[in-house]
Amino acid sequence: MLYSERMTKEKLNIPGEIFMGNQEYSWRMDWQVNGWLFVATLISCFFDIIFHHAVWQWPVGARVGIQLAEFAAIALWARGLARWIRGMDEMHRRITLSAVLFAVSATFFFLLLWHRLDAAGLWDVLFGHPRNGGSWDIVTVGHGFLLLTLFYFAACSVLNRRYK
Amino acid sequence: MKNKLRELRAAKEWSQSDLADKLEVSRQTINAIETEKYDPSLPLAFKAARLFKLKIEDIFEAE
Repeated sequence: MLYSERMTKEKLNIPGEIFMGNQEYSWRMDWQVNGWLFVATLISCFFDIIFHHAVWQWPVGARVGIQLAEFAAIALWARGLARWIRGMDEMHRRITLSAVLFAVSATFFFLLLWHRLDAAGLWDVLFGHPRNGGSWDIVTVGHGFLLLTLFYFAACSVLNRRYK
Repeated sequence: MKNKLRELRAAKEWSQSDLADKLEVSRQTINAIETEKYDPSLPLAFKAARLFKLKIEDIFEAE
């Protein structure tokens, strides 16, 4: 069977549903698929950027709790994404899975490259030393989300054009 | 892969959306198959063959 009985009676999901600006865009579906990623990004922004120094005064249990909450939100986002992809027909599932695979690989590669170039001191030479003893390293969920989104939409645009 | 899906659909006077509903895929997928930009999976090809009461090789032909 191509799809389960339950799925055949529901509307098929399509990649354009979460493409803002696309005529098939659905705010409700976008929120259903990416809501938990937004929560993870908020947690990351609050505790990695806004309250970065205050967090370090807290007990280790609280800091670990924040990190685990962030990754729990990411796990829930991955579950929502998998469900959304399962509700697609075979061509859209192929396009989306290819785009997700490309986005994850490209994000991993980009972050690894950025980190290694930071370790080599390139960003300090190009942009100067960051204030307060910080570094140019970007390993927050917010950065990861931005890169994933960028690479996902780039891959989706290319793949959608191939099948149109 | 070449296919006769468009001709078969036209003979039945179905729109792409009608065929998409019957095969439980999106209209875009039907369009991509008809324009030979996407090769359907074996289960979908069987489904199309059953719908038109033909053999798979009567609809799809390897280039």
